[in-house]
Amino acid sequence: MSKLTLQYEGIVLKDHAVGSGLTIGRLPDNAMIIDNPAVSGHHARVFLEGHQVILEDLRSTNGTFVNGRPITRHVLQHGDEVLVGKHSIVFDQNAVEPQPVSGPPLESLGDTVYLDTKQHRALRATLESARADAAKSINARPATPVTTAPPRVGILRVVAGRSEQDQYDLGAHTSLIGRSDTALVRLRGWFKPSVAVAIARSGNGYVATPLGGKTLVNDERLEGRRILQDGDMLNVSGLILQFGWKDGVPAESAA
Amino acid sequence: MRLRVGARTDTGRIRPQNEDAFMSQAEQGLFVVCDGMGGAPAGEVASEMAIQAIARRLTGTDTGEDSTSPFLPHTTRLLDAVRQSNEFIYGEAQKDPRQTGMGTTVVSAWIREHIAGVAHVGDSRAYLWHNDRLEPLTRDHSLMEAHIEAGLADEGRKLPVEQQNVLLRVLGREPAVEVDVTEVPVQSGDYVLLCSDGLTRMVSEEDLAKAIQMFQEPQQICDHLIATANQNGGADNITVVVVEVTGGWWHRLINGVGSHLRRTLARDSMRVSPLNDPRPH
Repeated sequence: MSKLTLQYEGIVLKDHAVGSGLTIGRLPDNAMIIDNPAVSGHHARVFLEGHQVILEDLRSTNGTFVNGRPITRHVLQHGDEVLVGKHSIVFDQNAVEPQPVSGPPLESLGDTVYLDTKQHRALRATLESARADAAKSINARPATPVTTAPPRVGILRVVAGRSEQDQYDLGAHTSLIGRSDTALVRLRGWFKPSVAVAIARSGNGYVATPLGGKTLVNDERLEGRRILQDGDMLNVSGLILQFGWKDGVPAESAA
Repeated sequence: MRLRVGARTDTGRIRPQNEDAFMSQAEQGLFVVCDGMGGAPAGEVASEMAIQAIARRLTGTDTGEDSTSPFLPHTTRLLDAVRQSNEFIYGEAQKDPRQTGMGTTVVSAWIREHIAGVAHVGDSRAYLWHNDRLEPLTRDHSLMEAHIEAGLADEGRKLPVEQQNVLLRVLGREPAVEVDVTEVPVQSGDYVLLCSDGLTRMVSEEDLAKAIQMFQEPQQICDHLIATANQNGGADNITVVVVEVTGGWWHRLINGVGSHLRRTLARDSMRVSPLNDPRPH
């Protein structure tokens, strides 16, 4: 059985069995929904042709890429990485075993050596220039812009329920909601979970992970990791919070 | 949250002595693996020193929070402890000529309230097993990895053997060291795996994943992985620490019943949705 695995910034979001085929897009009538402005309503589709699994771009605004190259129609091979907006979809031909991240080399080893600071600096300079050259000549991956802009800061606005503040800045790497002393958003009450949700920075966005009690996002039970979108409503054990961007930074520049 | 732990270190089949060291304290949720270098006795000394220094710093009283840290207090303390251990080893190496040039890698995880803070220097690694998948939590500070990051992966792989072991950062060789830190939420059913490169050079990540999936019990996973590394050559010392995150017994009971119900309900309500009309928007 083959499957497609939707990932964002290296984080696995969801597996989809290819089955007899599926559509990929922003609108809710797609089998694989990617709720992101960079993705067209009906962006691409995957279908079977004999034993082959075909990926076809549905004349999307921002295009579909396989291993860095734009495609209109492509026969998927095991391990192909499809890029739709900023999301990547990895094709797994025989989805029984877990995917390796990469294979290690199996050469014999000498003693481990350490480069001192001076050697290290020289090496780093060489690598930096090589990296710059590589970027100039290949121009390989369109959807991984090398920007150095500071990451956007998300906020949680309290919509309903008891809390110490009206609004919380998600400036830390990990922000917790719960009864714990270390929580950014403190829940009060004996039966509240010590840590209900962790909201962690990931690339330029935030990922919510449920850790205790009951949490809903837009009235849907939060079961696994989920990327937060501007305007998402969180119900964390009764406390209602809305996720957004600080200073009203627009969600995405694409599309 | 409860942690089930397995840990083991092995000299391997080639090296005369084991310069790896580890600490596994399930009660505190604190786990460290160090891979010493510099030859006997210095390598052994450095890795053991790092472990002791980190443990001392973390079991001692909190020296006050760094409020500017973007990380949770326990992660910040772990980072501080790793930095301190560098200063300590460097200082000791200056005192004793037999120990000049000693150094060690470190990978450490402190798991509290479902958040794993991870700090590392060198090429000892941490992985998270989440949702039937292995996710790397660390990036080696090695020449090979630097090539890969620079977009020169192929050249990195083609490096001569002697350059494949070059580390760009270790503990104990400079007065100060840059420590990589990350934080990751861990849910029941997740595993955190720490290891020295004696494992990752001998066993593929695919096989690491398979071992977790197959054995599930942390000590069995460790034993199996060390056996596999030795079967594949055992070229270096091998150390593995595996931590399984589980709920309390009542949590596991409720979850067990819950997931059984969910599975049953999902089976009942499962229906095949027709392929959507693939028209462009």
